Amino acid sequence: MRKVGLIFLIIICIFLSYLTFTTAEKVFHSDWKLPAAASQKENSFRIVLITQELDTPFWDKVGKGAEQQAQRNGASLEVWGSYGKNQDDFLKKLEIAIQSKVDGIIVQGLDTDRFKELTKVKAAFYGIPIITVGNDVPKAESLRKTYVGSNQHLAGVMIAKLMLSDMGQEGQVILLSDSQKEFYQEQRLSGIKEVLQSFPNVETIYSETPEAREQVIAKTRDLLNQYPEADGFIAVNANMAGAMIQEIGRRGQVEPYFIYSFDDGSESMTLLNQKKLDGVIEQSPEMMGRKSVDVLMQWLKNETVPLDANGYSSEIRMIKAMDER
Amino acid sequence: MNRIQKKIWMLASVVLIIMAIIWIALTYYNQKTQNQYNDILQRYLSMNEVTSTSQKVVTDLNNYLLEPSENHLGKLDKSKDKLNMAKLEIGKLRNSKNEFALMNYMNLIDSFIETTDRSLMFYAESDTETSNKEFTEATRLSKYISEMTLTLIDTELKTYDVFYRGIIDQSAEFKKLGIWLMLLITLLLLVITYWFSLSITRPVQQLTRAANELSAGKFDKEIKVESNDEISFLAQTFNRMRININNLFQEIQQKAQLEHELQQNKLLLQESQLKNLQSQINPHFLFNTLNTLSKKAYLEGSEETSDLLVSVAGLLRYNLKWLDKSVTLQDEVMVIQQYMNIQKARFTDRLTLHLDIDHSCLEVQIPGLTLQPIIENAVIYAVEPREEGGQIWLRIKDGENMVKIEVEDDGPGISEDIRIQILEGERIETNSASTGIGFVNVVKRLRLFYGMENLMDIQSDIGIGTKVVIRIPKTRGVEQHAQTLNR
Repeated sequence: MRKVGLIFLIIICIFLSYLTFTTAEKVFHSDWKLPAAASQKENSFRIVLITQELDTPFWDKVGKGAEQQAQRNGASLEVWGSYGKNQDDFLKKLEIAIQSKVDGIIVQGLDTDRFKELTKVKAAFYGIPIITVGNDVPKAESLRKTYVGSNQHLAGVMIAKLMLSDMGQEGQVILLSDSQKEFYQEQRLSGIKEVLQSFPNVETIYSETPEAREQVIAKTRDLLNQYPEADGFIAVNANMAGAMIQEIGRRGQVEPYFIYSFDDGSESMTLLNQKKLDGVIEQSPEMMGRKSVDVLMQWLKNETVPLDANGYSSEIRMIKAMDER
Repeated sequence: MNRIQKKIWMLASVVLIIMAIIWIALTYYNQKTQNQYNDILQRYLSMNEVTSTSQKVVTDLNNYLLEPSENHLGKLDKSKDKLNMAKLEIGKLRNSKNEFALMNYMNLIDSFIETTDRSLMFYAESDTETSNKEFTEATRLSKYISEMTLTLIDTELKTYDVFYRGIIDQSAEFKKLGIWLMLLITLLLLVITYWFSLSITRPVQQLTRAANELSAGKFDKEIKVESNDEISFLAQTFNRMRININNLFQEIQQKAQLEHELQQNKLLLQESQLKNLQSQINPHFLFNTLNTLSKKAYLEGSEETSDLLVSVAGLLRYNLKWLDKSVTLQDEVMVIQQYMNIQKARFTDRLTLHLDIDHSCLEVQIPGLTLQPIIENAVIYAVEPREEGGQIWLRIKDGENMVKIEVEDDGPGISEDIRIQILEGERIETNSASTGIGFVNVVKRLRLFYGMENLMDIQSDIGIGTKVVIRIPKTRGVEQHAQTLNR
């Protein structure tokens, strides 16, 4: 009896000490990984990539490519930007970047005065090189060092040719563009028009609308009413494709129409996979990101001065809905 | 010998050590968390400091631009200094996660200061418009700084999220630790105290039990206490006392026994003396008469009668004289020869005495009249009743520590009952044929004289004879006893 009691007591003692020591260990031993101390890379360049459309597949790819390249070059890069083409936000980010005296800015071109003022005056004042990516702004107006991205004129040419090959050499084509005439859209339009001019049987209807979804829908409705015979649509601003197709789909079948756009819209690839878009001009966003960082680093390291003002074109190719799966 | 005190000290120090350990651990933990909290707070405070000072700079700048005075300029300079200080503080917060943002932040502050400087400069040059433009920009930058501060704090929160949660978890664990620790210590202290108290009370209990037994008179049980403190010392002392008392007790008992024996001895002596006195008329008259008779017999030519009378007179004198004293064996042998002379006169040829004496043993002390009654007994029982007479052997031999005296006769022998009765000293002699001192008296006296039993042995076979063997120690028994006592 006494022995049993003793063993019982010992077991309780051991049990309690075990609990005590494990909790004591938890209390006095912490293994949270605090962020490592600053890496003190004195000559690590700080680069900011600023876009207007964060969280879209296209710009995500650009950011990814840029980050990969930055890592390879030992530069630190951050992707900033606005969501859904919020210009004020975008410009604010750009200004902050300039005032923060980053070493280089890679920016999605925006064809506005404020943008140009910032790049031309502020960035130049602090001596910060600016490279446009994806969308260009003319060098004279922005003092950008160079442009990395697709040749938008060529893209326009390609999309026009793609449509002609599908639709044939006659028909009514509606070009839907942004009322805020951005440089890259102008370039695309000029490419498209250049091709279509030589086909007299192809009637081109050019239309402009603000980018807001409701307005795009309204405009599409107007156009469909006005031109019931229309055969093809080209969304020059790829972000309009979704709203446009939605409105067309409400009227009737989407399939009979020949609808084309570019891949830098947030819905472009989804629509293509659903075969609502008949073709898309695919650019190389990742390559753009990589190349832009690469070029910027070359400039920063004084390896290539000056940069090619005309820009570095990235690959573009056509994708037809049939090709996809 | 201050073991109990030591034990108490030990218990107290164990408790003290436990308390000290807990106190140190608590203080350590407290200090640690305090430091953590301070660090965390410091981070947020210094970020917030930037926001507030930058706003202060804008306000001061505005005040100065509205009303340019030394006072306002001084304030502006002061707040700019403060902002610079805050910037330096911010620089310390760099880590790999916020390096980029923090660098931007600090540059933004620089830009902000530069812009304010520019605004001041243009103002000094009376270029109010540009100055105002710069002021607007400074205001905007200050706003950006505030926003960026928030972003930074947000990042900070995300980065340190795990850390903060860790702290919260830790404090929860700490509560648990407190409970477990309290339980453990309570249990341990209970156990230790129990053992400790037992180590004091158990010996006391043992001692109490021993004392009880002692008081009940059990002196022969050893007092044993399993302890190494004062109690054990007490127990040892107690035990020694017990042994002493025990010894004293035995001594008293022995003394009492001895006294008792002495008393008996005296009684026996008195009895034999009385018997003597009864048969004593006037010894001198009797001796003189016997001597006169002896002379007369000699003168009348009866030499034999004369000798016999001398023997009787000698025997009588010896009888009266030596009874209460020890004599040598030599004296005893002489008396026996005289006695035998007398008996020979009576039994003539019927009695034959064979003496076989080792003369080296004759110096041994024995009680007076020891052998004579035995010889007399042999004469009475072995010779007197038989017409053909009998033979008696007296042998004195040297043993190792003993002198062996044998008296043998070839008489009818005695039965076993009688033999035992004689040896036990129970037989009451009624035969008046003896000289007065009986066999049993001899047995008892021997026993008292030497303080030993079994000094006498009787071997007897019916029809063949009886043999009485007496072993006399060469040193007296009482002396031996005294020697043991003195040891």
